[in-house]
Amino acid sequence: MNNTEKKMQEAAARLLTGGSVDCIIGFENGSLPRTARPCFVRNAKDAERLVWNQWCVANLAAFVPKLFEKPQKPRKDYKTPRVGIVAKGCDGRSIAGLVKEQQVPRASITIIGMPCNGMKTAPKGEKNNVAGELARTCIECVSPAVMHADIAIEGESRKPAKAAYPRVREFEKKSVAERWRIFTEEISRCIRCNACREACPNCYCKVCFADQRKPSWVSPAAQVSDTMAYHLGRMFHQAGRCVECDACVNACPMGIDLRLFTQKLASDARELFGCVPGVTGEDVPPLNAFKQDDSESFMTDPEER
Amino acid sequence: MTKSNATAEPTIVAFLCNWCSYAGADLAGVSRLQYPANVRVIRVPCSGRVDPLYIIKALQEGADGVLVAGCHPGDCHYISGNLVARRKFAMLRSFLEYAGIEPERVQFSWVSASEGGRFASLIEKVVADVKKLKTGKKMAGESRSASLAR
Amino acid sequence: MKQAAIDGKNLKKLATAMLKQGRVRGPVRDARTGSVALGDLSPKNELILDYANFTLPPKREFFPQCETIATYDADGFRPEAGSDKQIIFFGIRPCDVRSLGYLDKVFLDANYADPYYRKRRDHALIISLACEKPGHACFCTSVGGGPAVAGAGVDIMAFNPGDSLIFEAVSKKGEDFLKKNRALLRAPTAAEIKKKKQREEHLQNALPELRMDGVTDAIGKNFNSPLWDAIAETCLGCGACTYLCPTCHCFDLYDEKQGTGGRMLRVHDACMFASFTREASGHNPRGRRGERMRQRVMHKFAYAKENFGDIFCVGCGRCVVHCPSNIDIRETVSRAAL
Repeated sequence: MNNTEKKMQEAAARLLTGGSVDCIIGFENGSLPRTARPCFVRNAKDAERLVWNQWCVANLAAFVPKLFEKPQKPRKDYKTPRVGIVAKGCDGRSIAGLVKEQQVPRASITIIGMPCNGMKTAPKGEKNNVAGELARTCIECVSPAVMHADIAIEGESRKPAKAAYPRVREFEKKSVAERWRIFTEEISRCIRCNACREACPNCYCKVCFADQRKPSWVSPAAQVSDTMAYHLGRMFHQAGRCVECDACVNACPMGIDLRLFTQKLASDARELFGCVPGVTGEDVPPLNAFKQDDSESFMTDPEER
Repeated sequence: MTKSNATAEPTIVAFLCNWCSYAGADLAGVSRLQYPANVRVIRVPCSGRVDPLYIIKALQEGADGVLVAGCHPGDCHYISGNLVARRKFAMLRSFLEYAGIEPERVQFSWVSASEGGRFASLIEKVVADVKKLKTGKKMAGESRSASLAR
Repeated sequence: MKQAAIDGKNLKKLATAMLKQGRVRGPVRDARTGSVALGDLSPKNELILDYANFTLPPKREFFPQCETIATYDADGFRPEAGSDKQIIFFGIRPCDVRSLGYLDKVFLDANYADPYYRKRRDHALIISLACEKPGHACFCTSVGGGPAVAGAGVDIMAFNPGDSLIFEAVSKKGEDFLKKNRALLRAPTAAEIKKKKQREEHLQNALPELRMDGVTDAIGKNFNSPLWDAIAETCLGCGACTYLCPTCHCFDLYDEKQGTGGRMLRVHDACMFASFTREASGHNPRGRRGERMRQRVMHKFAYAKENFGDIFCVGCGRCVVHCPSNIDIRETVSRAAL
C-alpha cells in the first residue's frame, strides 16, 4: 500500500506542477479512526496529503458533475475546468457513465487509476472498537481495476468477481407479500435526508423529481407512501446506469439495505440488455436505446385468454 | 392499505397514447362494446411519454391497477416512442414486482386505433386480474386514497 | 422523594410498571441492524443500558419529521388538537436532554409558543440515562454539558454505578414518578453513591476539550473568509447532519391536497439543501455550498448565542460520525475561530 500511495502522490504532484489539471480530487486522512475522506488538492506540495488505503470508500465521481456545471448565464471568461481524480474501479465506472451522459468532457478529466483490493467499512458508531470488514460491494465487484485510466498506478487489484447476485435470486424466491413486507419495513427507516441521492454520482439533476412542486411527485414528509415513491423513483432512475458502488448505502445514516434493490436493477440491465454500466462501453444508456427484437414477454396480450 | 374483497370495484388508471390506443378505446365506445367501467383514462401523446413516476403516482393516489397501452411496434406516430417505452416498462415492471407490487397490478399492452374489441378485452382482463389480488391498494396511505374516492 | 435506586435485576419490573402507566419509549434493539434506537417498549423488552446513543435525536419526539398541523375543507380550517396521552421517555442521554432545553427556547417562546411542540413536551416525562463511556466523536464537555450533567427539562437523571440504577429527581414530575413507584425502589447505598461520583469524575475528564470561549465573536469576524468555500468543497449538500442534529429545527410547511380539501404538514427542512433559500424568482441568496455551510455553523455557534444566550451544539457527535464526507464540525469551528 505504501508504495502505491507514494506513486499516486507523485503522479498527482506531476499533474499539478505540469499544469495539466487545476485540481485533484482524492482522499486524505479523516478525523475519525478508520476513515479516509474526500479532499481537493490544488498545489503540488499538498499532494502529500493524499492517501490510499482500505478506508477510501466514497465515490469521488459524485463531485464531478457539479465541477463541470456551466454557469446559468453564459460568461465569456468561463473556462472548462481540468480535473484529476484518484479513482478505483467503481469511481472509474461512474466517470465512464458521466462521460457517456455528457456531464463531463472526457478530455477534461484525468483519471489516476488505482489498484483496488476492496475497501473496508466499519459501523459508523463503532469505528473506535470494530476492525471493519471488506464491503459487500467490493467482494462482489466485477471490475476492481479502473478500465480507462490515463495514469495507471502499478499494483495488483482484486480479481473481478463473477456476477451472480445471490441475494437478488434469494429475494425473488420469496412471495410477493413477503417482498412487500420487507420493502416496507426497510424503507420505513428513511428520514428523507437525501444523503443517498447526494452521494450518488448519477444523481446530478439540477432539480430532483422529489423536490419538484407543480407537479409534486413526492412530498418532503417521511410518510411511508411518499418515502416508497421517492426510493422507487430514485432507484428506477438508476436503471441501466447504476454501477453498484454502494455510495448510497454508505451515506445512509439509517443503514437501509438499498443494495438489495439496486442490485436488482443491475441484474436486469445485464440480463435484459446485456449492459454492465461503465464496463460494456455502449454509447448510450440502455433505456435510451432499443432493438427491434426487444422482449415483449412482460406485456399483456388480451387475446391470449 | 385497505383490504379488498370480491365485491369491491377496483379503480384502474389507464395511460393511452393519443394516436392508437386512445383511438382504439374510442372505437370501442362508438361500437357500443361492453367493458367494465372501472377504468379512468389519461390521454398521452405517446406511450413513450409515460414516466415511471406517473405509474408510481397513480398507485400512491389510490389506483388499484395501472395500464399503459401504446401503438404496436412499427406503428408509433413518433416512430420509436413505443420502442423506447418497451425497454423502460420491461425494467419497471420487473423492479416493481421485485419490490412487492404484483405484476397483475401494472400492465402494458399494444392496442391499435382499429382494435376496439382488443381494447375491451384488455380492460376485462386487467380488471379481472386486479380483482383476484389478495391485498388492497399498494402505496396509498389513508390520506391518499381519499383523492380517488367518489 | 428525590433520590432512589433499583437493582439491575429488578429493572424489568420497573419497565412493566411504567408500561402500566402509559406509553413508554426507550432503547429498543433493531433485529436486523443490531443498533439501538428509541422505540416503543413492549412488555417483552428488557431495559437496555448498553448503548452509546441513538442515531436519531429525541427532537423528533416533540418536533416530528412530519406532522399534520391542520386539516381543511369547505367546512373550515381545523388545527390539530394533539394527544393528551402521557409518554415516559427512558434512556435519553444528557446531551440530548440539553438539546431539548435549547429547542424549548425556540418553540416555547413566551409570545409565540408552538402549540404542537408544547403539547408533546408537557405530556412527556423524561428519564435521562447518564453515559458510561463516551462515543468516539463526543465533545459535550466542550459546549457546556457533560456525560452526567442534568440539563433543563429533564425530570429524572439515572446513573449506572455498576449493576443497579440510581435515580435523582430534578423536577416535581420526577419526584412524583419516584414516589409513585417507590414500592420497586430502595435507597441508594453509600458504596453506590461513591462509585457514581467516581464514574462521573472519570468521564468528565475522559472527553477531549475543545476551546470554545470567544468562538462566537471569532467566527463572526470571519464571515467573508474564503475558508467557508474551502471547508464546504467536499460537502455533498445532503441533509444528514441537520436531520440528525438534536438542535437543528428548520422546517417547511407543505399543503397536501385531498379531494376538495387537504391538510397542512410540517416537515423537517435543512439549510444544507441547495434549494433551501431558493426564491420564487429563481434567485438563491445562498447559492454556494460555502454560504450554506457558513450559515449552519454560524446559526449554531454565533446567532444562537446572540439570540438565546447558548451555543446550540450539544457535542453529541452525530454529524461528525455520519457525514459521508467526514466534514468535522470540531475542525470547522476551530478553523473558523482562528
